[in-house]
Formats: sequence, C-alpha cells, structure tokens
Amino acid sequence: MGVMSELWKGLRVTGRIGLRSLVGRGIVTTEYPKEFRTKPQRFHGRHVLNRYPDGMEKCIGCELCAGACPAQCIYVRGADNAPDDPNSPGERFGYVYEINMLRCIFCALCVEACPTEAITMTHLFEMSVTSREEAIYTKEELLMRPDGTVPHPRPDDPYADLSELEVADGWVRATAPSGSAAYEGVKMWQDTAGPASWDPEPDQETRDA
Amino acid sequence: MSDHVTVTIDGRKLEVPAGELLIEAAQEHGTYIPRFCWHPRMKPVGMCRMCLVELETPRGPAIVTACTTPVSDGMVVHTRNETVQRMQEGVLEFLLINHPLDCPVCDRGGECPLQDHVMAYGPGESRFVEEKRHFEKPIPISELVLLDRERCILCARCTRFSEEISGDPLIEFTDRGNGVHIATFPDLPFSSYFSGNTVQICPVGALTATAYRFRARPWDLEAVESTCMHCTAGDRINLQASHNEVVRILGVDVEPTNQGWLSDRCRFGFQYVGSPDRLTVPLIRDAEQGHTEVTWSEALDLAATRIGEVLAGSGGQSVAVLGGARLTNEDAYALSKFARVVLGTNHVDAQMDDGLDPQFLAATVDRALISDLDSAKAILVWGPDLKEEHPTLYLRVRRAAQELGAALVVVHPRRTGLDDRATHKLTYRPGEGADLLTELVAGSGRASQARQALAEGPVVGLVGRTGYGEDPRLAEAVAAFVRTLPDARILPLARRANIYGALDMGLAPTLLPGRVSVGGEGARSIAEAWGGLAEHPGLDTRGILEAAAAGDIEVLFLVGADPLRDVPDGALARRALERVPFVVAIDQFLTDSSRLADVVFCADGFAEKEGTVTNLEGRVQKVNRIVPGPGQTRPDWSILDDLARRLGVELGFGSAEAISKEIADVAPAYRGVTWDRLDWEERDGIVVPDGGEAPLRFVPADTPGTRAGGDLVLHLARVMYDDGVTVRHSPSLAGLAPGAAVHLHPDDAARLGLASAETARVVTEQGEATLPIRLDDTLHRGVVYVPFNQPGMPPLGPGPAVTVTPA
Repeated sequence: MGVMSELWKGLRVTGRIGLRSLVGRGIVTTEYPKEFRTKPQRFHGRHVLNRYPDGMEKCIGCELCAGACPAQCIYVRGADNAPDDPNSPGERFGYVYEINMLRCIFCALCVEACPTEAITMTHLFEMSVTSREEAIYTKEELLMRPDGTVPHPRPDDPYADLSELEVADGWVRATAPSGSAAYEGVKMWQDTAGPASWDPEPDQETRDA
Repeated sequence: MSDHVTVTIDGRKLEVPAGELLIEAAQEHGTYIPRFCWHPRMKPVGMCRMCLVELETPRGPAIVTACTTPVSDGMVVHTRNETVQRMQEGVLEFLLINHPLDCPVCDRGGECPLQDHVMAYGPGESRFVEEKRHFEKPIPISELVLLDRERCILCARCTRFSEEISGDPLIEFTDRGNGVHIATFPDLPFSSYFSGNTVQICPVGALTATAYRFRARPWDLEAVESTCMHCTAGDRINLQASHNEVVRILGVDVEPTNQGWLSDRCRFGFQYVGSPDRLTVPLIRDAEQGHTEVTWSEALDLAATRIGEVLAGSGGQSVAVLGGARLTNEDAYALSKFARVVLGTNHVDAQMDDGLDPQFLAATVDRALISDLDSAKAILVWGPDLKEEHPTLYLRVRRAAQELGAALVVVHPRRTGLDDRATHKLTYRPGEGADLLTELVAGSGRASQARQALAEGPVVGLVGRTGYGEDPRLAEAVAAFVRTLPDARILPLARRANIYGALDMGLAPTLLPGRVSVGGEGARSIAEAWGGLAEHPGLDTRGILEAAAAGDIEVLFLVGADPLRDVPDGALARRALERVPFVVAIDQFLTDSSRLADVVFCADGFAEKEGTVTNLEGRVQKVNRIVPGPGQTRPDWSILDDLARRLGVELGFGSAEAISKEIADVAPAYRGVTWDRLDWEERDGIVVPDGGEAPLRFVPADTPGTRAGGDLVLHLARVMYDDGVTVRHSPSLAGLAPGAAVHLHPDDAARLGLASAETARVVTEQGEATLPIRLDDTLHRGVVYVPFNQPGMPPLGPGPAVTVTPA
C-alpha cells in the first residue's frame, strides 16, 4: 500500500501545477528566448572591463586576475603608458587582455582580485560561438565603450544595460569583504590623477626660499 | 670548542661559531630574523632597523640590530617576544609612511621582501594618513636600470654593492633628513657592467630593469636553474620564462663560481633567444635568389650529396669544421665524432684564432679553482682585462684583493678594471711581453717590486692573451713562470662561451674527447669505440682559413661560428669563405658568415636544449631548457646524426642524455659525469680532474715576441659589449657598444700631429679603417688600442704593426 500512497502524493503535485498552468498562475518556466527572466543581482555573467568617467581604462595590466583565476583562462600583458597619451592612470596598462570563455567557470575570483575594480561581471550570458577562437574574448570585446555600452554579439540584448553597468563596480565594493553595503547602487567613478602626473618635490633651495 | 660560543635564541641553546653575526647564526639554526639591508655577501650597515632583537644584558633588556651584533658567549636573545614584535611593527609602519603601495604595477609585486615582511611582521594598518612624498616616477639612471625613488626604503644595498663589490660607485644617497634619496651623479649614468645586480638585490621595486619592465609577474613565471653561456666562468643562473618566452635571468648564489652576482651581459643578454631574426627553417642558397626556405630533407639531402662527392674525391683532408664553442658538451662531442668519423678530418677548431694552444687550455696541470682566489696570498693577472671579458671572475679577484688581503699584480698594455685594487700594475707594448716577463722572472728593473709581491704563496696566476696582437705562446711562458712560484696554481683564460667544454670534447686539431691527443696513446681506445679516426695532421683556424683561401678546402662547416667577425684577420676569413665551393652553416642567426653559406641549418640554442658545459676551472655544470626552439629548429646533434645517416654512417645518437653517457664512457676525463649527478647530488657541478693525456707541465720561457717593426703597435682586444651576434640581437645591450675608435696616448697623438684631430686613418697589414680618436693617458707609449668587433668597423687584423695617420 505504501507504494501507492507515495505515488498518489507525487501525482497530486503534478496535478496541482498542471491545473494552475491551465488557468495561467504559478508557472516556473519561461518561454526563452521570447521571454527573459530577471537575473539575480549577484548573477555571474560575462566580464566587462570598465572605464573611468574621463574615458581612461581602469585596467592597469597587473595580472592579478590572471593569477587568481583557477581555470587559467585570462591572459594579460602589461605595457608602458605613453606619458602624453595614456590608456590608464599610472605607468602601466593592460596591453593585451583576453579571456577564454570556454575555460572560464564564472567564479568571479578575478573580480575580487582586481585592485582597481576594472573587471566586473554583467548579467549577459548569451555567448554562443561558432569556433574556439571566437570564444576568446579580446580586449576590444571586453572593454566598455566610452559611452558605457558593452560590445556584445547581441546588441539588442536587454541586459546590456547602461545604468546597470554604471553601478557595477559600486556593487563590487558593496559586496567585498572589507566593503560596505552603502556602496550599493553608487557610482564608483572618480577623477583620476593621470599618469605619473605628480610634480617632483621642489629641491631644498626652492623649498626654503 | 674555543672557536664556538653558546647563545640562547628564543629559549634554544645553540653552539655557533664565535664572531658570527647574530642574524647569520640565527638563520643557520632555523630562526629567520627579518631584514632588508643586510645581505650575506656585503658588509652590514644596520640601516633598515628591521632586524631589531632584544638582548638580555646585566643592565636589563637591550634592543640591538642583529645584523651588526656578533654573537658572544652566554648571549640570550629574543627574536619574537612582545617588545620585538612591537618594534617590528613600528619599523614597518615607518617604512610605509612614504612607500607608495603601487604594488599592482610594480615589477617587484608578488616577490617583494617588503610586501612579505609587512604581511608576516607588519601592523594591520597604518596610523599615518599624511600625503606621501612624491618624486618623478621611474627615471632611467642607465640604459638598463630604472629608479623609482618613491618606492625606495633607503637600505643602501645598491650603493654598497657598487662600492664594495663592483667598484663602480656611481649611485649614492643625496640630500638630508626627510629628503634623503638615491641618485646618480649629474651627467654620469649608472653605467656599471654589473648594474643588474642592484635590481636583483633591491628589497623593493625601486630599481627595476628595462628588459623586464612590465614583461611578466612573478606568478606567471616558470623557472629553471641553468648555467650562463656568455663567458667561461660558468655562472649559475635562474632562467625564467613566461608564456614560452625567456624574460629574466637572476644570479644564483653558489660558492664555487659567481656567488650570486652576474654581469649585465649575462643578465640581459638573453633577449636574442626570442629575437624575431632567429632562423626558423633550413635555407639553401641559390646564385640568383639568395637564400630560400626549404624542408629539412631537401637541405640535408643537398648537403649530404655535395659532401659525399667531396669525400669520394679528395677525401677528408679537404673538409674542415670551424666553431663549436657555443655548443653544449653533448653537441660538441657529436660534432667532434661527426668530423672525425664521418668527415674523416682533423681540421677542426672551436677557437677563432683568438685563443691559446688547445693543449694549454684543456690539459694544464695545477689548474686553479675559482675559489682558490679566496685563499691566495698573491694573484698575478696577465691576460685579458677581466672586467671586460670575464666579469664575474673580475668580481672574485677584486674581492680577493680588496677584502681578503691578496697582493694583486696586473700586467696589461692599458688600464684594466682591476688597476685601482692592484698592488702593482705593469704596462708594456704588445710584442714586448717576453722582455717584461724576463724582467719579472729575474725580479729586476721595474718588475722588481711586483716579483717580491709574488714571493709568498699560495699564488694564483690568471694567464691569457691580453689582445690579438700578442703571441699566444706568451701566456704559456707566463704560466711556466707562475709554476715556479710557491704553491702556485694556474687559471688559463679563454673567452668564448663553452670553449673549455668544446676542447675537452675534441674540437681542436690536436685533441680528441677527454683531452686525449690525436695520435697519442689514448686515441686507440677512442678509435675502437668510434670505429675509425682521421689520421692526417689537423689544421687550426688560421691554417684552415689559409688553406681555404688557397683553394685546398672544398667543404667548410661553420657551427655557430662567424669567422668574418670573430677571427681577428677578417680579411683572410672573407677570402677563405668566398673561395670555398660549399659552405654548410649550423646557426641560430644569419650572420655575415652564414650569409655566404650554401646550406644553413637552424639550430636550437641556449635555453632551448639540455646539456652540460665546462667552465674555465674544469667544472661541468648542467644547462637546462625552458622554452621550445622557434619554428623548425633542431638540436645540433640531431642535425649531425641525420646528415651522417645520409652519408652512410650510423653515429647512434639517441638523445643528448644518451650522448652524455657515451661521453662518460669514451672520454677519460669525463668518467662518472652523469646528468643524474649534476641534476641532484652535485648541483654546483663536478670538477673534472686537471691535466690530460699529455699534461702541459713544461713550456719554454724564452718565447719570441712578435715584435713589430714600426714605433706603433696595435692592441686589439675585446670589450664587454661588441657587435657579436648575441649582443646585436639583444635590444637592451645592442646600444651599449662603445663604438669603433682608436685610442692613443696624448703624447703619441701630439707626435703624430693628431692632437686636435677628430679622426685618424689606421692601417695594418690586414686592413684599414678611419676611426674617431680617443685620447687615453693610461696607455703604454707607442700602443694603439682599438676595441675589437665594434659596430660598423671593418676588420683590421691582429697587427701588431700599425700606422696611424691623419684622416
């Protein structure tokens, strides 16, 4: 008898959901791609490289993301910033930045490792490719455009949301172990000092004069 | 145990040698005391205050720096109690007041002693919120080194290195108090040959190397220990690569050879390995089209056909092999066997007419070890300028003279890097060395004081050829004199990479592997093992080139050799190469010489293959592979093996390691030298016994000098940076060559009417050139000094007769 009662219990659930769907309530599946479901805030989608509001790249090519990556899918090479036309504040910028999305396990350790909040994750998840080479996202594909949009294979993707990307790095700071919830939704953009733009200290004579 | 004292470190009673510094004693017994300024190879200064420890004294606890405090009996030390921890936190908090914390972009980030110490001993956070001091970010203080004064923690390691170790005090502290910073002198770059060492010992990223700047981070480096192949000292190096590209070389502190130091040529001369100019496919030359790329089989077939024709016709006598000093011992052995067995020739020479007698270099008895310099009472250097040609040996000799109290006698035609530490310095005109030697032997004339300095043993004599105008037999005569001194040992000096290994493998007309003489007693067993040997007397490089120029050589092998640039008489080399009907080159680059070759095989080079090398004291050490060769390159032994098979001979080489086993079987001096021992038990190398089958004991002291007729003699010698193939293809070093010039004594210049001239015409029997004049009052009168193989200089030939006229 036990078997029959258990079977009855299961069929009751199926029947209940079946009946509800007939009247259009309590459906858990959606008809993707006709319909999108809002992703949770901490969803780990594809990466993006952020910029400062003056257009400078945040990435300094320090390779900490590549060092932290457990899948070893990030390849970064640094180079010297040209003093008169810098790509990023300071001496160094990411000259090559590539992520192999086939290897990536979307763990976001790169985001945690980044000292400048240059790399963050988005809610974009549609990354179908037709070859292995295409799965390697280069800096051109990762780096946010100066207008804040992301180069993406699907430009009409409703999740390529400018306003969301603007606060993406604030979200990183809000959820970091040493961060504070107060940063949630806050733009973390700041004015930069520019590359090596410190004036040298005046020498002793000038200082004393 | 009078030479030992008992100290208590953190409650542990320890027996340590008396007089040792506390920091060393603690480290030997497993207690690491943090430090920045203290370096085991330099004198302590106590600058950084990081090594503060607490001593229990009769007057209560005392705080001292462990790096300046020698141990004494009954000392009680605390290295990690609460007071010391508070001190350490305080010191680190102070050090971080001005340190910029730009670790993510700093080349040191990830392997930085300051980072590590702050993590291990530092405070959680700093109380200082004030603006840090700012300087202009990295300023180049030389072509190779960048200085970031913001990051500097004022430990004085670099300044002490420059003053104590390398003897070029070109970097110093300036300003006072809060403003103290490191600087070079105005208009004087940090142009030391050893500047790279300061980058390695800098405990922060204040000094960084241009060659490594932003090339990699520590966590993406692969590293392997290897041996430098730039000079013959056999310096141990840590070879580091990132993504299959060699990016950095660090010195490894081993007692027998380099003690951690490297010359910049060794440290930054790795860039040629990844040069885009490397040969990646075999080439054959066509009369019309020049070199065209072909497959390996096409190139090997062509070479085998042409060589086969010559061997069937005029035989091995008309085939010659030049080069091999750039090879590992395994490849050199393969080349030696290939030449003797397959080609049937004894016309084999790894020296480019710029060295000494191969028997003298390989089979000298009483050969010194480099470490003998440390215990020597007197050192005679009669040979090349060590600073230019044997840089780490120079550091060792310098230390012996400066710190260890050895009397140093330097004999050279011009000033050398060691002059400021020399007890006696003698100059002479090239060609008149025999006269000076006679004076030195007799202890008469201007050499009398120098002779007295050499009277007390042990004596180490470093003998070699001071320049190419010199008779090579002079060095043997000097060695014979050194042998008469008390407790004397000799280091014969030759310059070219693995030349000692090449000679030990038989790449000389008179030698077979294991220092066996051609035609000698031991040759029979080698002939048995190899199944035949060439019988005819062999020619050396000069002989080969002369025979080739006369049309007697029909096939010439160039193995990593560029005779047009390396042989002092470049004009002869050109005549020879143009006359030889078929030239085969095995090389990494298209050099001036391999451009004239009919077939060019591309070979694996340094960092791309495993093997062993032998240094000037006979120490065999391992070189290791870290990157793959570019394109289709192959190791030399495998090229020769294939070529031999096409010529109908099986040499039976399976791998470099198999060859090393064959060497251990066949070459008497190399018995028992295996890769297993070198990789594990004997990481510092195995010194093969000195001497050989025909050990060189007696040499005539009455060497005739090749005296020049005129009143001027040419002194042609190498400097560290020249237009050699490895320097030319290493961008960091390529610009450092001093350039072609003729150096004259001001008196000579005035006499020749050149006192105010800019350039002069220099003519020798073998060549001529118009060169800028540099006045140099350290030259012996009547000596014309021209650095060898500088960019854009036509070959002048060895001289020594020379005329200098206004251009």
